[in-house]
Amino acid sequence: MGTGGLGVKMGALDGRVACVTGGTRGIGLAIATAFLNEGAKVVINGRDAAKAQRTLAELGRGDQVHFIAGDVKKKADCEAVVDGTVAHFGRIDIMVANAGGAADFAPIAQLPDEPMQDALLWNFWHSFWVMRRAFNYMIPQQWGRIINISSVEGKVGKPGMSTYVAAKHAVNGLTKSAAKEVGTLGITVNALCPGVIETDIVKEGGAGAAAAMGLTYDQLLAQFAADSAIKRINEVEDVANVAVLLASDIGAGITGSLISIDGGTAPY
Amino acid sequence: MANSTGKLDGKVACITGGTRSIGRAMAEAFLAEGARVVINGRDEAKGRQALKELNAGDRADFYGGDAAKQSTVEGLIDFTIARYGQLDVCCLNSGGVQATAPVFQMSDEEWNLEVDWNLNHVFWGMRKSLQHMIPRQSGRIIVTSSVEGKLGKPGLPGYVATKHAVNGLVKSAAHEVGTLGITVNAILPGIIETDIVRETGPASAVAMGVGSYEALIEMFCSESSIKRPNRVEEVAAVAVLLASDAARNMTGCLFPVDGGTLPY
Repeated sequence: MGTGGLGVKMGALDGRVACVTGGTRGIGLAIATAFLNEGAKVVINGRDAAKAQRTLAELGRGDQVHFIAGDVKKKADCEAVVDGTVAHFGRIDIMVANAGGAADFAPIAQLPDEPMQDALLWNFWHSFWVMRRAFNYMIPQQWGRIINISSVEGKVGKPGMSTYVAAKHAVNGLTKSAAKEVGTLGITVNALCPGVIETDIVKEGGAGAAAAMGLTYDQLLAQFAADSAIKRINEVEDVANVAVLLASDIGAGITGSLISIDGGTAPY
Repeated sequence: MANSTGKLDGKVACITGGTRSIGRAMAEAFLAEGARVVINGRDEAKGRQALKELNAGDRADFYGGDAAKQSTVEGLIDFTIARYGQLDVCCLNSGGVQATAPVFQMSDEEWNLEVDWNLNHVFWGMRKSLQHMIPRQSGRIIVTSSVEGKLGKPGLPGYVATKHAVNGLVKSAAHEVGTLGITVNAILPGIIETDIVRETGPASAVAMGVGSYEALIEMFCSESSIKRPNRVEEVAAVAVLLASDAARNMTGCLFPVDGGTLPY
């Protein structure tokens, strides 16, 4: 963005209102920060109010950012964060379904139902619930951006990670169908597919995933790096930069895309 | 504008087919972000006119020649480095068809033209620019591919085959230079009513069995989710992102700008 006639910085998202689930840390925080820097008002969601207060203090953006607590594995919380965004800032233009992850990894033969159900709630149902609710506001205003934070695991499989892989593939399918439903209504729906990033969530769940694959945590990260072309893991800012483009007016011609931000890992 | 910091300050780019349409939009976007740019095209007069309209003074220049010829592609890169001292962003953007036909009626001349224009041009440009970028451990290669790099359409066999090949080349090259500070990506636009499409579209429509130019555009639009053609500025915005430091960790990516056309 250049500068305006009065020397005022023009942001790519001036006047927009965004909601980012899982926005208190990791990729979500990077996206929220990038959106704030481009002039948007942003609601960040997370489970932990104390953590959120620290995040808000660190951001130092005053009224431009607002926290709504909620667990995205619950439908009522997902709908409340969307409704709460509209209640607080008057509208919702950009919905980033960013929260997600998986826990209690195991090969399918030993996999109980619960981790699969948990992964689907956390990644897939959450994306569906916030998208459906956001559409109810975006369709009447004929403008909207849905950005689902998927994963390279939405395109490829890894042993021992079937929960996460299945859930992210489902998110990608949802993205494609939704894009076709609202394509002529000024609303785009895209998925970003990052490679592994050492976020707090990955640090917390990574050891379990590694164990299910017969690896240590460090070996797991090394394997992801080895699968890439850049031979290193990604960074949260990589994802945020693409999210800004998709969220902006010039992103209007990009929809139904599963955009790889994985240092050259996914085969397509 | 004095305090404005561009995303491409200090960068030097060259663009094949840069005098109009997608390449021209890339040139404008790169200049707006602070880069210096050399545009290429076959027509000297059109090139001079484009430079005048870009109005970027010493920050833009033109190199004439046909991007389907090795001497042009390599000459453009040599010229850019001589003119501005370096090459950071190589956009291999030129391409198209002239007199496409179904396979059973395809002439050798048209086939060879499309292979030279869409595929060999990209290989020549990539090889030459990598020879400059690898020692510098820095660079961006951006290839304008197409949705036809992932899909097939009747009557466009050369275009579809060469765009698929280009996508494969991008992926291989990305893995070759992934640790060297160089990214290699392709942008896959849906239909855009560029000058090339307007000029060759009526003949292509006949070869594809859809009758008229209008029917051709309508067919592409109907396959998208947005039910309209894409715009050159939409492609240029992605090119700026891929050219910038912000995309240092994106490579081997086939980035659709197709309004929701591609299935993957």
